[in-house]
Amino acid sequence: MSDYELVVESALDGAEHEFKGVTVSEVIGKSLVMIALPRPKFKEIESSMIKSCGLALPEMERSTQSKDSSIVLWRLQKNQVLAYFSYEGNDAEVNIANRLNSPAYYTDQSDTWAMIRVSGPRSRDVLERICPIDLSKNVFSVGNVSRTIMEHIGTIIYRDDEDSYVLLTMRSFGISMLHAIEVSAKNVL
Amino acid sequence: MIINHPLLGPRDSEEFVYLGAADLINRPNNWEQDASAEDFYQYQYIRENIAGDHRELWYHEQGDQSWLVVTRNTLSHEIINVELAQDVSRGIGRGK
Repeated sequence: MSDYELVVESALDGAEHEFKGVTVSEVIGKSLVMIALPRPKFKEIESSMIKSCGLALPEMERSTQSKDSSIVLWRLQKNQVLAYFSYEGNDAEVNIANRLNSPAYYTDQSDTWAMIRVSGPRSRDVLERICPIDLSKNVFSVGNVSRTIMEHIGTIIYRDDEDSYVLLTMRSFGISMLHAIEVSAKNVL
Repeated sequence: MIINHPLLGPRDSEEFVYLGAADLINRPNNWEQDASAEDFYQYQYIRENIAGDHRELWYHEQGDQSWLVVTRNTLSHEIINVELAQDVSRGIGRGK
C-alpha cells in the first residue's frame, strides 16, 4: 500500500453562480467516453447497441438516448461518438463497454474535460455573445450538439433541455471558459 | 466569412485552418521514377496566383476535423462551393 491517497477533485471545484434568469454551474457526476467506430463495423455496432440499451447511432451533430435515458451519445465526427452518462467511478470505460456490449474502441475522457451548465430562461442571451453557432430555439434544438470555438477556446455545446446547455472545454481551459460565460452574463443581464 | 460545411451547415471561418491550393491532393505517384524529381518540384513549389475562383484546402480543426475543398473568389472572398476533400479525392480515383 502506498502511504498517500489521491483525492478526486472536480475541474471547477463545484462552481455555481446565480444571475438574474441564468444559472452557471459545474456539471458533476457525469462521465465521458469516446467510442471510435471502425468503418466496416458501423452496422454491427449499431445493432448491438440497439439490442443492449436501445441506442441508435446519431446523425452528425445530433444525439440519441438509451431507453432508460441514462446514456447519451453525441456524434461530432463521422467515425466516432461520445458517450455522456451518469457515472462517478474510476472505470467509466469498462462500465460503458459492458453496458453497450459493442465491438468498438473505448477511451475514457471524463477527467480531461471541464463541464459547465448554463441554464435558465435567459441562457441563450448569455451564450449568443460568445458562441458563433446559431442557438435560436428552432435551429439548435434540444438534443443538438456541436463542436465549435468560443472566446478562442475549443468547446462542445450540447442542449440538454429547453433552456439548458452543457458546455465542455478541455479541463485546463475550464476556469477561462467559466470567466468568459460570467463576463457575458454580466454584460447582458 | 461563413463556410457552408457539407455535413454541418454554415460555420464561422474562425473554426477552420487554411492550408493552401487544392492541388496538394494530387501528390505524384511516380516517386520511384526519374521524372519524379521534377514532378515533386512542381507539386511542392509551383503555384498559380489566381485572381478569381480558387480551389483551396481548409481543415475544420475546431469542428468535425474534416478536410474541405473550398472554392473561393480571391478578389471578393465570396465562397462559391464547398466539398468534402474525401469526396473530391475519391472522385479523381485517389484514396479508398
